[in-house]
Amino acid sequence: MSRRLLFLLPLATLALMAGFFAWSLMAGRDPASIGSVMVGRPAPRLDVRALRDGDKPLTDALLRTGKPTIVNFFASWCTPCLAEHPLFTRLARRDGAVIVGIAWKNKPEEARAWLAKLGDPFLYAGQDFDGRTGIDWGLSGVPETYLVDGNGIVRFHFRGPITEKDVRDTILPFLKSGA
Amino acid sequence: MLEFLLALLTTATVGTLLIPLLRARVTSTSRFEGELAIYRDQLAEIERERAGGALSENEAAAARLEIERRILAADAAAKTTAAPPDALHRVLPPALALAIPLLALGFYLKVGHPGVPAAPFVAGSKPPAEQALDIAQLVAQARARVAAEPTNADAQSALGEALTLEADGTVTPAAVEAFNQALALRPDDPRSLYYLGLHDAQSGDSAAALKRWQELEAKSPPNAPFLTVLRAEMARVAQAAGLPANTTMPQPSREQQEAMAALTPEQRQQAIRGMVEGLAARMKENPQDRGGWLRLANAWKVLGDNAGAVDAYAKADALGPVDARVLADWAESHVRGLKPGEPPSPAAVAVLERLEKAEPRNGLALFYLGAASFAAGDKPAAARRWKTLLALLPADAPIRAMLEERIKAADSP
Repeated sequence: MSRRLLFLLPLATLALMAGFFAWSLMAGRDPASIGSVMVGRPAPRLDVRALRDGDKPLTDALLRTGKPTIVNFFASWCTPCLAEHPLFTRLARRDGAVIVGIAWKNKPEEARAWLAKLGDPFLYAGQDFDGRTGIDWGLSGVPETYLVDGNGIVRFHFRGPITEKDVRDTILPFLKSGA
Repeated sequence: MLEFLLALLTTATVGTLLIPLLRARVTSTSRFEGELAIYRDQLAEIERERAGGALSENEAAAARLEIERRILAADAAAKTTAAPPDALHRVLPPALALAIPLLALGFYLKVGHPGVPAAPFVAGSKPPAEQALDIAQLVAQARARVAAEPTNADAQSALGEALTLEADGTVTPAAVEAFNQALALRPDDPRSLYYLGLHDAQSGDSAAALKRWQELEAKSPPNAPFLTVLRAEMARVAQAAGLPANTTMPQPSREQQEAMAALTPEQRQQAIRGMVEGLAARMKENPQDRGGWLRLANAWKVLGDNAGAVDAYAKADALGPVDARVLADWAESHVRGLKPGEPPSPAAVAVLERLEKAEPRNGLALFYLGAASFAAGDKPAAARRWKTLLALLPADAPIRAMLEERIKAADSP
């Protein structure tokens, strides 16, 4: 008898999984959203070499200047980064945003060539070739963008490319709040 | 091909399951027979060994007794489980083996999209190395041309376009610079206006992009080759930004606009009608003006007067055959008043057939000519057109389900 029950085990597992998938589909939750543990906490350590020759290394002090700062992880091999790039260019040029760009798992010369082609909106540009800083920041890939307030607290975390709507509804108000 | 292989695989699987199920089944009685044969052999062997002296009389008797005991046990076991299999047990396994694949097929035909063409990964993607070389060459040529004739607006905007292509469609600052140069040389250069609008859209100012594009559209001649792309881009950007899409009406002067704004909606509607009727009256006096007829047709179409539009299009067409774009508008005026399921009129069919000839992949023509064929009893032609249309539709097009229903109706004899 107990052996028969054992045969039911795969079936029960299947039913359990089907139930979970059905719930996932119906409950209207966004499976792409994996949340972020960074929001509301001090920004993780920032200590990377500068991307551009002759610049000083990037340190934590950049995130505690009293001015809101945008931190963007990008890579020249990443297509969504290409799509969001003009938005950063506009934020830098038109809105004077302080943007820290970090080339993640990207050869510095390739990242530099990419910025030379598309324009460089980054006040500070760093390189994270081995992805170590990305781990500290809880990065799941590129592009990801963090809004860090003047006291170095992460206020927003975008996984994936930012959009016009994000700029209008979140980033510009955040920059204006000046916090 | 893949469907065929899958069907073959399923048939083979079902076959291997069914054959043993349908064959004479190994019942417990036949198993008992088999066991008996073994025991008989064993008894015969004991007898041989006893005769040969390998077993003593006592040992042989004990062994025989043991085997007889086993025979009794086997007989008892056969009796207890030998209840003849009832109908359910006999029929259920083969029935399930058949029903599961059939149900799966039926379910797939109901909810799936067997008509959607496959999208193989390799198709359409050029070898990247070759492409990169082409674009690099393009940029180099464009730069050389700008260097040679720096005051040529076309050279500047071609450079901007090449730089945009080089950046995989992103309008880079260098490209913006080139387009601005081009506009300084020729203020209405459509290519520069288009790409600067694209730049607006890409840098998060969709409203500015749409405004720029609407101006470009208003300035462009109605048969400009880029209008199709432009309108598609306008629709895409407007949808992405949640803004209202374009209006293609000619822009009235500022005084006219202000006068219009002071009116109530009803008065405004009436004023517009009055203007269009004025144009219609002028056309009666001057019926050889083909451009006038086209303007009038367009105005009636915008006002929703389909009969007036159809008439004006026909007048323009009589003075000189209209092109595919006008044919599409004409056909649309013809079919706009149709109730769902109602076939188009013979006059509409004539226009639609010309449209289909000019643009064999025009959705409007395919759909309504399919309806006309269907109404005329030519179901194969209807199915052929609708299937062509179905293959052209994006996978999430809302009319897919309706179209599939109709194809089913056309396919059934």
